[in-house]
Amino acid sequence: MNRKSIVELNQICKIYQQGKLQVTAVDCLSLQIAQGEFSALYGPSGSGKTTVLNMIGALDEPSSGDVIIEGKTLAGMDRTALSRLRRDRIGFVFQAYNLVPVLTAYENAEFVLALQGVPIRERRQRVMSILEEVGLADLADRRPDELSGGQQQRVAIARAIAPEPAIILADEPTANVDSATANGLLDLMENLNSNKGVTFLFSTHDQRVMDRARRLIELKDGKIASDGVSP
Amino acid sequence: MNLFSYAARNLRRSGQRTCIMIGAMGFAGAIMIFYAALLEGFIMTTEKNAIGMETGQVQIHVHTYLDDPDIYSQITSQDEAMAKLNRLGYHSAPRLFAFGLAAAGSSSSGVMLRGVDTEREPLVTGIHQHVKSGNWLDRNDPTGVVIGQKLARIIGVGLGDEIVIVGQAADGSMANDLYRVRGIMKSVGEGIDRAGFFMIQETFRSLFLLDEGCHEIVVVPSKNTTKSLDEMTAEIRAAIPQYEVKNWRQLRPVLARIIDMTSASLVVMLIVTYAAVGILTLNGMLMNVFERIREFGIIKALGMPPWKIFTIISLEAIMQVSIASILALFLAIPLSLYCEIHPLNLSSLAPDSATIAGIAFDPLWYCDLTSNSILLPLFFMFLFTVLAILYPALKASLIQPLKAIYHR
Repeated sequence: MNRKSIVELNQICKIYQQGKLQVTAVDCLSLQIAQGEFSALYGPSGSGKTTVLNMIGALDEPSSGDVIIEGKTLAGMDRTALSRLRRDRIGFVFQAYNLVPVLTAYENAEFVLALQGVPIRERRQRVMSILEEVGLADLADRRPDELSGGQQQRVAIARAIAPEPAIILADEPTANVDSATANGLLDLMENLNSNKGVTFLFSTHDQRVMDRARRLIELKDGKIASDGVSP
Repeated sequence: MNLFSYAARNLRRSGQRTCIMIGAMGFAGAIMIFYAALLEGFIMTTEKNAIGMETGQVQIHVHTYLDDPDIYSQITSQDEAMAKLNRLGYHSAPRLFAFGLAAAGSSSSGVMLRGVDTEREPLVTGIHQHVKSGNWLDRNDPTGVVIGQKLARIIGVGLGDEIVIVGQAADGSMANDLYRVRGIMKSVGEGIDRAGFFMIQETFRSLFLLDEGCHEIVVVPSKNTTKSLDEMTAEIRAAIPQYEVKNWRQLRPVLARIIDMTSASLVVMLIVTYAAVGILTLNGMLMNVFERIREFGIIKALGMPPWKIFTIISLEAIMQVSIASILALFLAIPLSLYCEIHPLNLSSLAPDSATIAGIAFDPLWYCDLTSNSILLPLFFMFLFTVLAILYPALKASLIQPLKAIYHR
């Protein structure tokens, strides 16, 4: 059965100007991510993983080529439309957790739902259920500085999945945590993928992530060097 | 999570800086409210001295009198004019003037003799309460006179001493008589202090052989009125068109200018002070924004629209300025109220009073805490804070999420 395509990259290039030098970060790359995938972009530093992730996340725009999310081309969308797209259809999990420090775990997890204007009651139900799922229901009132790195990353995952986005982009999500915590986080994301059909796209160096990913896309010098199902 | 609560928590995040900013704004606000109250007090005292003691709100003369104050330039229909004024809701009092020479012992000085209606004058000015020593005029004491304090010093007289007056009567004959000092005035203005010689109207008429008429009618509204000075002047001018009607601003333009400049100086001081406070606020808010630049990038990446970020920064500033305003009121109101009763005593700088352009300024500087003296500084504090946060708030709201996330 053909699964619905969530992300489509058509011949995208990203060229940065560094002084008089032109640096090609992404070189005419084409890629499709289908619904329910658990995929990882990997490759050496400077291979263009994060740049690709940023372009899929509508945080950066390609120098040429098209980024299509759920059938909509991002080129030509204004700032407001891109902001709305990020809010409603894309979840982000960053390497450094990036929680809002003055908000509690609960408030961080409900952040995007509040921006969407979801009614308080529904918000509460959804956030508490997600916090339960990520194992943080008891720590809902704690602020980020009262949580461990792994717990903070769980809150970030809860924040990403709460609005039920089309895809979650996770940039080195296990880079700042120990091995046991990394495995716990990967278990959690794998379960969300298997049980809820949440689509994940990782950018990673971490072998543990690559071991779990069901599709591995290797990038080298801004190009896809290999793309295949993980053994 | 609402924006208000988010902004409040952000303020607590950098508690020390927030306290310093609130303290600086609050202290500046308190100083400016106190300063505004002092200026209001200065204006009130100056107006009281000049208008309430001497000029009144409006004066009526014959057309040539102000240019050439001649004893013959009289208002002849004074009773009719005052009756009209009474019907319009004004108090009025006639005055008589003549120049003469006052002598006591071997000293003499030119004086302006003032014939006062002792019944009507208290209705238009408070000069009868402005006696430094002795008593005000009394119809039962026709030879008793009240003189200015500098005049008393110049000719060396005190209470009970005799003064000879020499002048020219209305019929051209020499007017002279002997009077006794029954009162010495506090400082009113250079004119009265140096040459003021008050006597009852009847004595004046008898000395200068003026049976009727007066040289000046002083007018004030009989009760609190909403009419402006110009409206009152126009109304009186329409009622008594045959005479020249001028208000105190036209009669004492220097005083009017001093009062206007004093009010303007408050605005200038407010601008200067709050520009300085505004720079502090701008600096504080910029630090605030730069510290949180990554956070703004994240929340923008998550989909927060720019206007919400702008609102958060604005709310933070408004909360700070609101707390600073309360602090300013808490400090300034008791201090200003205290100085309404216990004035600043500047007598060591000006023993009796200082005069500028003939206008006496009381060495006791009272505060007058008015709604204007409270609201104007607070308004400027809010205005400058809003102006100061515009740049950091715009910067935060228009930041590109990607640049902000990877900001080092």
